[in-house]
Amino acid sequence: MDTHDAARSTEYRVAHLQDRLASGELGELGVRAEVRGGAVLVTGTVPSAGCREDVLSTVREELAGLEVHCDLVVTETSSPDHAEELS
Amino acid sequence: MIRIAAVGDIHMGPDTRGSLRPAFDTLPECADLLLLAGDLTRHGTVEEARVVADEIRGLGVPVVAVLGNHDHHDDRQDEVTAVLRDAGAEVLEGESTVVRAGDARVGVAGTKGFGGGFVGASAGEFGEPVMKEFVRLSRRCADGLRTALERLDEEGCDVRVALTHYSPVPETLAGEPLEIYPFLGSYLLAEAIDTAGADLAVHGHAHAGTEHGMTTGGVKVRNVAQPVIGRAFHVYHLPVRAHAGAGARTPTV
Repeated sequence: MDTHDAARSTEYRVAHLQDRLASGELGELGVRAEVRGGAVLVTGTVPSAGCREDVLSTVREELAGLEVHCDLVVTETSSPDHAEELS
Repeated sequence: MIRIAAVGDIHMGPDTRGSLRPAFDTLPECADLLLLAGDLTRHGTVEEARVVADEIRGLGVPVVAVLGNHDHHDDRQDEVTAVLRDAGAEVLEGESTVVRAGDARVGVAGTKGFGGGFVGASAGEFGEPVMKEFVRLSRRCADGLRTALERLDEEGCDVRVALTHYSPVPETLAGEPLEIYPFLGSYLLAEAIDTAGADLAVHGHAHAGTEHGMTTGGVKVRNVAQPVIGRAFHVYHLPVRAHAGAGARTPTV
């Protein structure tokens, strides 16, 4: 693989996306991006709808031109409906 | 019976201000205390810490917290700690605190903990200075946890809980990529818990992990990262046992 191809490799682009999500202004370590066949699957739970939009926009920017499937959910904040009994 | 509410990884910021408060306001009805298992903020800024502080101020149950790696990101961990303490929370790092629940005394020992991995696949204190320091930090955290749990035993607590951000066991990481386990926890924490004894260990950090695990010594472990429990908090009911005496672990059948 020549250097031109390496720079365009999906694997490296996904790795750079993860790095940017974690180390950039989002500080998002809970989002996972994986190469699945010819597409990229982005999964995880984020604290707010705003965070979800920020992550999606970063994903679109970093992975422009690639097929991306996103399944990001926003954290639930409801009270529990039961307790666990520990013996 | 002691009712322990716990959650970690709430990752608050200005845009989530007030989102947990409605659920937290129900705590006096269902819990004797609230444990916060670190990663309370996104970037560890003082502004984010103030959002957390407003969320927990005057809750009506004692709040005991440890910080997580996110709470260290802005290098303001001392200020973050001060903001949370000002809101009434106990923030532990190699320390312990005792909370009253009716007639019972609940001891909580806490540390952020650190990585390094688990038995058979763990980092060693060898090679480059930064690698040695990585393992030493994990060891210092675990030593602090063990000492804090032992202190609670000497004080004769009815129930002892180990509160960490990083995981003491691999079981509660199931769902995370195996390759990153060394960054998610350390067996040194479990060894400290099993050596000093505890009735429950609570941690966060692993968003894709699972809730239930156990140490080799039989201490129940719960991963309460908010994405894992899918709620504002979970509640665990712990029976009050007769105090087992210094150095002894409560026998189980």
